[in-house]
Amino acid sequence: MARTIKSKRDKRHRRRALLGVALVAPLVIWLLLTIAYPIFSLIRLSFLDVGIIGTGGDFVGLANYQKVLSSRTFGPSMGRSLVWVLGNGVLQTVLAFVAALVLNLPFRGRALARTWVILPWIVPTVVAVIVWRWMLGTSGGIVNTVLLRLGIVQEQIGFFSTGASAMSSLVVMNSWRFFPLLTIIILAGMQGIAQDLYAAAAVDGASAWQRFLNITLPGLKPVLFVMGLVGTLWSVNIFDVIYLVTGGGPSRATMTMPVLIYDMAFLQYRLGRAAAAAVLMALVVTLFTIAFIYFLAPRGDDQDEAWR
Amino acid sequence: MSDSKRNLAIRYGLVFVVMFVIIAPFYWIYSSSLKESSEIVAQAPSLVPQSITLDHYANLLSSSDYPIYLTNSVVVSVATMAITVVLSTSAAYGLYRLPFPGRKTLYRLILLAYIFPGSLLLIPLYVMLSNLKLLDSQVALIVVNVTFAAPFSVWLLKAFFASIPFELEEASALDGANWLQTLLLIVVPLASPGVASVAIFAFITSWTEYMFASVLIVSDANRTLPVGLAGIIGQYVIDWGLLLAGAGATTLPIILLFVLIGRFFVRGLLEGGVKA
Repeated sequence: MARTIKSKRDKRHRRRALLGVALVAPLVIWLLLTIAYPIFSLIRLSFLDVGIIGTGGDFVGLANYQKVLSSRTFGPSMGRSLVWVLGNGVLQTVLAFVAALVLNLPFRGRALARTWVILPWIVPTVVAVIVWRWMLGTSGGIVNTVLLRLGIVQEQIGFFSTGASAMSSLVVMNSWRFFPLLTIIILAGMQGIAQDLYAAAAVDGASAWQRFLNITLPGLKPVLFVMGLVGTLWSVNIFDVIYLVTGGGPSRATMTMPVLIYDMAFLQYRLGRAAAAAVLMALVVTLFTIAFIYFLAPRGDDQDEAWR
Repeated sequence: MSDSKRNLAIRYGLVFVVMFVIIAPFYWIYSSSLKESSEIVAQAPSLVPQSITLDHYANLLSSSDYPIYLTNSVVVSVATMAITVVLSTSAAYGLYRLPFPGRKTLYRLILLAYIFPGSLLLIPLYVMLSNLKLLDSQVALIVVNVTFAAPFSVWLLKAFFASIPFELEEASALDGANWLQTLLLIVVPLASPGVASVAIFAFITSWTEYMFASVLIVSDANRTLPVGLAGIIGQYVIDWGLLLAGAGATTLPIILLFVLIGRFFVRGLLEGGVKA
């Protein structure tokens, strides 16, 4: 009797496991076809001499890689991507911390503010581009007008006219778009910090700054890890803001890796070479990811509570 | 002023500054898009519109290709939303509720797909879709958008699924319901804020996507809103009134969706984030 119940339960267990596999399978197959297979074909393409899509491609070994590595555009673009990632990383993180600390204070309408803070992240990039170009314009742009009236500057600032100013303006625009998401992630982390720690610290007479340094920051470690990793990978990937505002200019000053790859593939019609550049970028990103996880992953952080 | 009153004033001042940074650009789009052309190009911009007109919106709808782009964007976004909801809800049910060996590894691989830089897939997906004769079709955009929306959606659903008691599913099974009935009649309704969040996320992903839409679509008749609007920016003389109206009109559906289900979406982000 006991045995039949057990085997019945086993059978039920097995059937549920099979059902689980069957339910996950469609998504996994979809992702294999649209991510895994394309990665494979990207690598293949990088060894072929392909110009325009549809033209034949001879196997050329490492020729594409040699051309990319010896070109005058590849190294500087890698450097610009690094500047881009660091600039965005610093600005976004600072903005997000300030916003999260403020939105974590008790105030009326807090739930509403926490919902709508995400707005810049969900509007189309092209809309953000239109707004910022409109605001940063040199004839009647609101930012220049306000700066002039307040006497902070004496003449109009050309926000996109020099390489350095274009890069900085783009970093500001992109950080405005992404800091809301980081704010929410930090707020999520803050919710996970036990409140009695703060109460105890207050009893001990710790200042707000000490509480931030000794309780909030350490409590946010796992969240900061995720933010550092995901934030970097997303920043590296940004194409649309840059392409839509400067197209990589002036004189290539904002041509980061994704813009360079796009330019090679779809404006210069060198698909094979662009594929090689993409593979090289993927290698760097992968090495970064492995190093980041290896050195910085919070230890003993198991997520078992969420699994039953 | 007493100490606590001053603290209160500082606190609300800080909240104002943060929300100003978020909201002010949107105020600036909408208020400018209502001004008459002469006021828009004025050297001294007016903070509050001195003239109110809906001309730019009328132009947008009557004498530009905006209605075509809008239709295309709606078709692509709704289809992306439907496929993403089905794929990610069923995957989430399998991953979080039906124990099978290797599911944690699978979950991590899906997360990896979510952080994988999409710009690296541009070239191979372009080649693949071209070989399949799907270039310049909305199917191509739907395929790509689902790929980028679904992994995040699976993650987003985790917190919502975790909050449903297993006892309810067991009771439903005892009542003779099969798995599909249990999923559709018990689990999905209880996780409905999560499913709604996934729907809004997939819709937004698709509504805002620019890079793939600019490469995979060739003809003007198949363009979506972001690429169509970018075409207006690229013109030699920019009609700012039209462009601002276009930006305002393109943002409006997102704001409306967010009024309805935004709080669930952010709740999903907040609760999912803890157990990332």
